[in-house]
Amino acid sequence: MRRDVFQAIADPTRRAIIGLVASQSMNLNAVAENFDISRPAISKHIKILTECGLLVIKQTGRERFCEVQLKQLNEVSQWVDQYKLFWNSKLDALETHLAKKSMSKNKRSRS
Amino acid sequence: MNNEIIRLERLFNAPIANVWTAITNKDEMKAWYFDLAEFKPEVGFTFQFTGGPSKEEQYLHLCEITEVIPQKKLTYSWRYDGYPGISFVSFELFAEGDKTLLRLTHTGIGSFPETATNAFAISNFKAGWDAIINISLKNYLEKV
Repeated sequence: MRRDVFQAIADPTRRAIIGLVASQSMNLNAVAENFDISRPAISKHIKILTECGLLVIKQTGRERFCEVQLKQLNEVSQWVDQYKLFWNSKLDALETHLAKKSMSKNKRSRS
Repeated sequence: MNNEIIRLERLFNAPIANVWTAITNKDEMKAWYFDLAEFKPEVGFTFQFTGGPSKEEQYLHLCEITEVIPQKKLTYSWRYDGYPGISFVSFELFAEGDKTLLRLTHTGIGSFPETATNAFAISNFKAGWDAIINISLKNYLEKV
């Protein structure tokens, strides 16, 4: 099954994991300690995140660290920007429409 | 990681009743939004429209109204025919004197697959909407 970044962020726990390791890489135990759900469940989420390319696991001595791959997140940001742009355009058009409407109403009330 | 939620606010120089009509009356929606066959602000009402980057590349949008509080809030689902995933768009209105603050919230777009979203690439969308806005705005300004 092909996984992508959108599947990664579809789940709230996975979003929280990304948020946690975004600023600094963390070892797997430290990540798990931040959540109330079971260790295997966290491992499963981390596995999905690595399959999506959002996290890489790096072995340092005995510890395994999670590191976020920010390049993958750019894809999401661009995509959200598309919608932002779309809605901003629509709201611009709505503003124009409302201005036009009040203009014609004023004209009517003056005549 | 809340960046898959889009929240925009815009203050309109119009009373709340006018803004509500503009977002719920099909004749007014045609002027700024989409040309719909029919629109009724009722929970369960479904509507659809096509939109896309070019004449050749059009996507069928499927929507169903999930919440209506007259003059206050309108929410509908927003998905793409033939693609998995569902998102929700809500319009909330707040009176600010004789002006109206509109808060637009679009959630759940993270549920759409990458394949669908490539179709809505920024440059593609921009080309279409730029034309609509610039032309309609220009016409409006020239009439005044």
